[in-house]
Amino acid sequence: MREVAIIGVGAHATGQFIEKLLKDIAYPAIWNALEDAGVQPTDINVAYVGNSLGGLLTGQEGVRGQVLLQHSGITGIPIINVENACASAATALRGAWLEVASGAADVALAVGAEKMFVGDSARSIAALSAVSELDLSQMGMQFTTSYAIHPKINLKARMEEYGWTIEDFAKPAVKNSANGALNPLAQHRRALTIEQVVQSRVVVDPITLYMCSSISDGAAAAVVCSLDAAKKFTSKKPIRIATCTLRSGVYRLPNDERLDSAETTAQAAYEEAGIGPDELEAIELHDAMAPAELMLYERLGLCDPGDGPKLIDDGVTTLSGRVPVNPSGGLCSRGHPVGATGLLQIAELVWQMRGEAGERQIEKRPRVTMAQNQGGLLLGQDSAVYCCTILKS
Amino acid sequence: MPSDPGQSPALLGAKCSACGTVVFPKMPVCPSCGRNGTMQDVEIGRRGRLFSHTIARFAPKGFAAPFFQAFIDLDEGPRIFSLIGAECAVENGVLEDGMEMRIVVEPLADTPENKDVLSYKYVPAKGKNGHA
Repeated sequence: MREVAIIGVGAHATGQFIEKLLKDIAYPAIWNALEDAGVQPTDINVAYVGNSLGGLLTGQEGVRGQVLLQHSGITGIPIINVENACASAATALRGAWLEVASGAADVALAVGAEKMFVGDSARSIAALSAVSELDLSQMGMQFTTSYAIHPKINLKARMEEYGWTIEDFAKPAVKNSANGALNPLAQHRRALTIEQVVQSRVVVDPITLYMCSSISDGAAAAVVCSLDAAKKFTSKKPIRIATCTLRSGVYRLPNDERLDSAETTAQAAYEEAGIGPDELEAIELHDAMAPAELMLYERLGLCDPGDGPKLIDDGVTTLSGRVPVNPSGGLCSRGHPVGATGLLQIAELVWQMRGEAGERQIEKRPRVTMAQNQGGLLLGQDSAVYCCTILKS
Repeated sequence: MPSDPGQSPALLGAKCSACGTVVFPKMPVCPSCGRNGTMQDVEIGRRGRLFSHTIARFAPKGFAAPFFQAFIDLDEGPRIFSLIGAECAVENGVLEDGMEMRIVVEPLADTPENKDVLSYKYVPAKGKNGHA
């Protein structure tokens, strides 16, 4: 396998862009990435395009990648459409990475784009529910429910087991909203207080509105090439992909005491990259519901079970801490346009590693970082998709 | 569904004749031992215990908030997602994790979309109707 570098990233702001089509949102992200990398469309050998809800929400059920890329002037090359729920964009990056790593392509493009605002939020929410196995969504199961009482997360049980409080659940939202307030690309740019988060409307007990990521439009893209070829295109520091580890959910019986798949995926990524969690200097993780960040600290090996709130209290994961988590604002603040999120995370980490993150720049530029992206729900008590990408400068 | 008149309804699951694992809904390959061709239909789920529950204050299309959402540990082994029967007032304190539950069949939701869709749900075993 060849060493692969990200040489360009781009994004479209997240938020509500009701007048724009999916391809209008993807276009600036794609061209920002091309220009950032110093490549022309004719340099691209292959493209992977992540999108999750476009079939249901726009009616364009097939060939969305070809439609988006033709609009942006990229045609003729192999284009692979990727649907992997909220991890579609991370999965697209994995495809681009492997194309270059294997030598099949010299330059590859990964795109993630999502258009969730369609003028009818009930339709958007129904489409989002459809990324879980139908047996669950047809019974009225929602993502919020899954975080509240799902056996593998079960925030209600954590309140008893760990003594976590509703204020603890609010802490990641408060921390991340402070970061998002500094991010011009973020959907929600208001720094929230514990009281505001706790007192916002209850969606599914104990999860409140400001603990939830919201409906969002957005896009991001990355150009990857072999590490050796990077300097041919750009003088910027190439960001190496140490691994882009993808796993799927496992059917877990109630008495299954094996590790959660978020944990096994992270462990596999650490092994493949040859690094440990202690070496990470920044992380973007999948806080679709803010309290999930507390659980993910454990799964990623950042702390012992139950110690998540302490990491925030001690400032370890704040922007000025030892390992800042979600410097972009995360899914709740930066935004969660589902099929774009994985590459929005990657773009943020690349900017941070290059020192291009503006007001939210981590003071000591991170050299080793990780993006953790997951999506969908299966009957077997796991999420459908897990992806951990480790970057090194 | 009941196989005899007078019998309470049940779920149609599958049991692996090799390792004994029971799943719902049924699957052709055992998710535990991985064998193919060993899964046999079995009626399950008449009784179980409440594993976890919450009150959703927001409903997706076709459902009406507030409503209970729950996971039930069936006596035969599977842990399934389920709604709670309409006989339970949707209030804190009505349900308690660990309590014994029994199956009922009723409309999925009292909404135009789902009032004619029958579904299994669970209610406390020692419910209003008195029989434990």
